[in-house]
Amino acid sequence: MIHFSNVSKIYENQTALRNITFSVEKGEMAFITGPSGAGKSTLLKIIYLSEKPDEGSVTIAEWELSKLKESSIPFLRRNIGVVFQDFRLLDNRNVFDNVAMALRIRGMTEYDVKERVMEVLKTVNLRHKTDSFPKALSGGEQQRVVIARAIVGEPTVLLADEPTGNLDSDTAAGITRMFKEINAKGTTVLVATHNRELFRNTGRRVIKIDNGAIVGEELG
Amino acid sequence: MYIMYSLKLAVQSIWREKWINLLSVLTIAAGLFMITLTFFSVYNMDLATKKLPEKFSMMLYLNNDLPEQEAANIISTLKKNSAVERARYISKDKALEELKGVLKNADYVLEGINENPLPASIEVKLRQESVSISKVKKLAADIKKIKGIEEVEYGEQFLNSIHSIKAGAQTLGLLMISIMSTGVIFVCYSTVKIMFYRRKEEIETFKLLGATRGFIRAPFVIEGGILGIGGGVVSLIGTAALYYTLFYKLALAMPIFKIIVFPSEVFIALPLVGLTLGISGAIIALGRIRFS
Repeated sequence: MIHFSNVSKIYENQTALRNITFSVEKGEMAFITGPSGAGKSTLLKIIYLSEKPDEGSVTIAEWELSKLKESSIPFLRRNIGVVFQDFRLLDNRNVFDNVAMALRIRGMTEYDVKERVMEVLKTVNLRHKTDSFPKALSGGEQQRVVIARAIVGEPTVLLADEPTGNLDSDTAAGITRMFKEINAKGTTVLVATHNRELFRNTGRRVIKIDNGAIVGEELG
Repeated sequence: MYIMYSLKLAVQSIWREKWINLLSVLTIAAGLFMITLTFFSVYNMDLATKKLPEKFSMMLYLNNDLPEQEAANIISTLKKNSAVERARYISKDKALEELKGVLKNADYVLEGINENPLPASIEVKLRQESVSISKVKKLAADIKKIKGIEEVEYGEQFLNSIHSIKAGAQTLGLLMISIMSTGVIFVCYSTVKIMFYRRKEEIETFKLLGATRGFIRAPFVIEGGILGIGGGVVSLIGTAALYYTLFYKLALAMPIFKIIVFPSEVFIALPLVGLTLGISGAIIALGRIRFS
């Protein structure tokens, strides 16, 4: 599903990723772990085309990213749900509109948007917060809104960048459970985290990254 | 399908930044009003210069000893020319009589002149479409070659003046309209650019969620269009007020205003021109949207 082959990324003389080669199979749930600044976010950014690799090739499903036309990028992104580290919620829109945004950009009718958004908000247990604005929500609730937005379009790949960054352990456990449920429905899930608690005893593959390079792999 | 949603976003954005948008609408309206005034002036000047050729005629002075029959032959030759509408023979006596008519009480200036000094002539009236400098010059040269014609007079300076006034007014008008249109586009451009930067973060999120260029651009283009139409409608109100003042108020006191023509098409055109300029400004402001 996701295939990196000898990928390197350099930011102004600083190497963010060096010779990264790995694959994530379709329907798999995997973790990328490493200390802050190891290159986890850069790796995810390359997958959702926010960054371009300087060397190597990346393939997502049948798309070879370096050969992708710029006008096709939006259509690939619609197949990748992203839980951003900084949430990227729109403060001037309520929970419903923040989640609905991912469907409206696809030109879906308002009737279908409403039906699907309500369904997803129920999944993340936020149906009672549809009219609330992000600033009125707790960190865990905001995180669940972001997850709802990421999965509402039924993407084939779900990426999560430090999804439990500032959350307490109970909320973090709830978020991990949610990812497992999403993965159980067939979505490929790749989670970047420095929090070992998140993948401990999950039995999932954990790719260790340090200083921009893969330094090992284990089962969580 | 997302057009309705884009329209909603555009209206929300206009409302959120209502003061800056109101200012833009008024500036656009002022620009469009100036464009209307310029167009209105050029239009009326053009109409006035088009009417002038109706008064235009050529005078062909005949040789002193030319028999009347020869003059009749010349007239029939002239009438064969498609540029000539009519030709009238004016005998020496008729010319004197007309001169006396013009002089009226001042005909004493002719006292002491025993012999009629005026030559016989032919007055040629040209078709309106033939009254242009080049055509008249060529015709005058051709006529002068006809045997029996001493001199051709056609008010060359008058024709040149009409031509210069018309060309000058058109050039100035076009220049003014171009400058004002650029100004209106620039106002729309700046407003949309400000809106775009204020929503930059939101747009980045849209892009990451998979929004196409069309989806991102649409609300801004609609916003530019709405500002343009708004400006057009406000300038239309201003133009209507001017129309009312000129034709119903000032014309009562100064009848000269009655001869001014005001094309009613302007009322429909103003919002459309505003819309076009507004959309153009927005499209230029958005430029190329990149995804990576």
